[in-house]
Amino acid sequence: MSLYELLLAPFADFGFMRRALVGCLALALGATPVGVFLLLRRMSLMGDAMSHAILPGAALGYLAFGLSLGAMTIGGIIAGLVVVFAAGIVTRASILKEDASLAAFYLLSLAAGVMIVSLRGRNLDLLHVLFGSVLALDDASLILISAISSVTVLGLALLFRPLVLECFDPSFLRAVSRLSPVAHYGFLMLVVLNLVSGFHALGTLMAVGIMILPSAAARLWARSLPATLLVAVLIAFGSGLIGLLVSFHIDVPAGPAIVLMCGVAYFASLLAAPGGVLAGRLPVRRHLES
Amino acid sequence: MQPDLPPLLRFDNLTLGYERHPAIHHLSAAIPAGALVAVIGPNGAGKSTLLKGVAGELRPIGGHIHLPEFGRKGIAYMPQRSEMDHSFPVSVFDMVAMGLWHELGPFSGLSRAQRDRVGHALEAVSLAGFERRPIGSLSGGQLQRARFARLILQDAPVILLDEPFAAIDTRTVDDLMHLMLHWHGEGRTILTVVHDYNQVRQHFPTSLLLARELVAFGPTAAVLTDAHLARARHLSEAFDDNAPECHVEEAA
Amino acid sequence: MRFSSRLLLATLATLSLISGTVRAEPLMVTASFSILGDFVRQVGGERVQVEVLVGADQDAHAFQPRPSDSKRIGAAQLVVANGLGFDDWVERLARSGGYKGIVLKASRGVSTIKMADDHDHGHNHKHDHKHGGGIDPHAWQDAGNAQRYVGNIAEALIQADPAGSAYYRANAERYIGELKRLDSEIRLAIDSLPAERRKVVSSHDAFAYFAKAYGLQFLSPVGVSNNAEPTAQGVARLIRQLRAEKVPAVFIENVADPRLIERIQAESGASVGGTLYSDALSAASGPAPDYLTMMRHNLASLMTALTAVPPSR
Repeated sequence: MSLYELLLAPFADFGFMRRALVGCLALALGATPVGVFLLLRRMSLMGDAMSHAILPGAALGYLAFGLSLGAMTIGGIIAGLVVVFAAGIVTRASILKEDASLAAFYLLSLAAGVMIVSLRGRNLDLLHVLFGSVLALDDASLILISAISSVTVLGLALLFRPLVLECFDPSFLRAVSRLSPVAHYGFLMLVVLNLVSGFHALGTLMAVGIMILPSAAARLWARSLPATLLVAVLIAFGSGLIGLLVSFHIDVPAGPAIVLMCGVAYFASLLAAPGGVLAGRLPVRRHLES
Repeated sequence: MQPDLPPLLRFDNLTLGYERHPAIHHLSAAIPAGALVAVIGPNGAGKSTLLKGVAGELRPIGGHIHLPEFGRKGIAYMPQRSEMDHSFPVSVFDMVAMGLWHELGPFSGLSRAQRDRVGHALEAVSLAGFERRPIGSLSGGQLQRARFARLILQDAPVILLDEPFAAIDTRTVDDLMHLMLHWHGEGRTILTVVHDYNQVRQHFPTSLLLARELVAFGPTAAVLTDAHLARARHLSEAFDDNAPECHVEEAA
Repeated sequence: MRFSSRLLLATLATLSLISGTVRAEPLMVTASFSILGDFVRQVGGERVQVEVLVGADQDAHAFQPRPSDSKRIGAAQLVVANGLGFDDWVERLARSGGYKGIVLKASRGVSTIKMADDHDHGHNHKHDHKHGGGIDPHAWQDAGNAQRYVGNIAEALIQADPAGSAYYRANAERYIGELKRLDSEIRLAIDSLPAERRKVVSSHDAFAYFAKAYGLQFLSPVGVSNNAEPTAQGVARLIRQLRAEKVPAVFIENVADPRLIERIQAESGASVGGTLYSDALSAASGPAPDYLTMMRHNLASLMTALTAVPPSR
């Protein structure tokens, strides 16, 4: 098989492959940086929580508009925002930390969602309908994730300094600026947008996987935040590309293949990177003078 | 204490606490501008609480704190070390440069002049050359110096320091004390929570002795007497869950 | 006293004889899903009251019983299920609700087809649904099998309510006649299609019986059934196949992921058909409120898509 057939032909011949690649790029640019911050703020498990928390919103959308993906996605976004904002308020105003307040609200949200779904069409697995797949990106989904990706890049650029400060020294930020809640809630909003649009377009595994795994891998290498972000984005996009090719040539499911590629990067980093498990245990070269 | 300088900071029957239990009870005192005040007292005396109140992190449950005209913008607060996330991938330079927030705001980049000032601040705390290092690689003493460098850049007329010398090596303590005296020389008003009474006697002209209420305030020599210290020790450290409601304020 | 009690007895006996032909209370029947419910109503008419557990537009694969279901089924006098692994949960639900009667497997006696691969058809939720040794349970999609269903149901009704046997037999005969008419209608329609147009792609492979009975090829999106995650190679293969074999129509089934089908259709040039109803009737106002209408609706959708001129690519 020539290099062309191996690497380029799948994308040249098939529209769905090109769309999938664009989807991966959008996700790598938008969702992965958000994932880096989630990782640094110790909120990595939020993706999974969010996939359940959006249920009442999707259910209400379904009740009002039937099996309309648009309505359910918007409903899901609203439910996600309500949950994170409520959790954010509780975290800032009470002694409960981020993980406890988020857990409380997402569980309540899930329970409410199950109740709502049972009011009508109780045998419908709504979330299954809502969650998409990387090989099935229609125009609406592509537009959605591209738009969210752009908003995210812009938002992170604007919020960068307050967000970074909010992450590592929140009391200092509170002391010098009133932007602390803006940074906090703005970030949470970006998280919800990226997660829900990711679920809609690509399903939960890929949406969360591309957020967290490349971030964890990059963290093991980079010493500065901009470097971490760059490495994470590169790993995310590379995994998307290679995962799609693997799915194409070896006939394995696409979403899991992409996430497993991210996993390969992660394991390689665990072994090879300065922040990994072997660093400091291998015999070192002669140390420097100072 | 020079009586002709107007008080910069005034505590008016101030009660600060958590869940209705006062950590500071009916404190009234006036801090003049330019004072270098050591806030001292036994454990649980309410020292950190007082600083938190001035910095605006805690709202009074009774009485008032009268701030100077320039308000909280002119107050730089350094809490005890626990809150910063040391593993965050940020360089010493970037962390210290945050001290220029009041000039930069959230968006603008650093000008050449500002970069130089960051460099000078690092030199002032003997951290020149550490710019690129991640904060996670600093020792306790070095991190404290970095925080002081940030304070330098904040250039605030009022500086609050909560136990800045806790668990720090002597050399750093000396250097930072030197810096504080320099600030004092510049006319800034400084409140510092300190535990080492020798240090207090040596460097701090004014002291505020707290044991949940005001025990003594004034020139250090007059405050650090055996009588006052004994009284401070006697006052209870624990919250009394069955305490009745306090009615002192009506009388005062 | 003895005279009056004998008189009472005689009166009661007479009354019951009279009422034997007109039942005061209808027979309570619980059917597992909407299509079976329709069959039972057709045969049982006024003599039965049918409760359906998995109603119109609902998915029997994702059924989660509620306490009210258990209560209702406990009060039934006959329970009708499909069998063939489609609704094994009915038996359990009935016993837990205290039902002591017969659970009729309406598909008894039909000649079955094995499942194409060893996967269940198209839903990757975790649920209670097994396939007995890989047998396809959707036997009702063949109108010939439907007649067998109706026969089984009639027998069960007669057994539960012997007084109505003439009534049930008459209804069953009439309905079977209609099913026979439906059957030949479908055959005629499909036969009218040229051989190379007798294939469709549908994401839900519940139509194996239909395919076998009427000679229509239902292609499952290769490697793209909903329970397995789609692979890029699978999607590419299907698109190539559709392009090469010029399959005229792709159908989006009402409980599957339509977006993948849309993608495949857009790239292969096949036209998109309407909705095919497989496991459930639609609501009363919809296009498939009862079995006969459902089958005719499916046929019409298929025929429209398959006789349409394919758009040039």
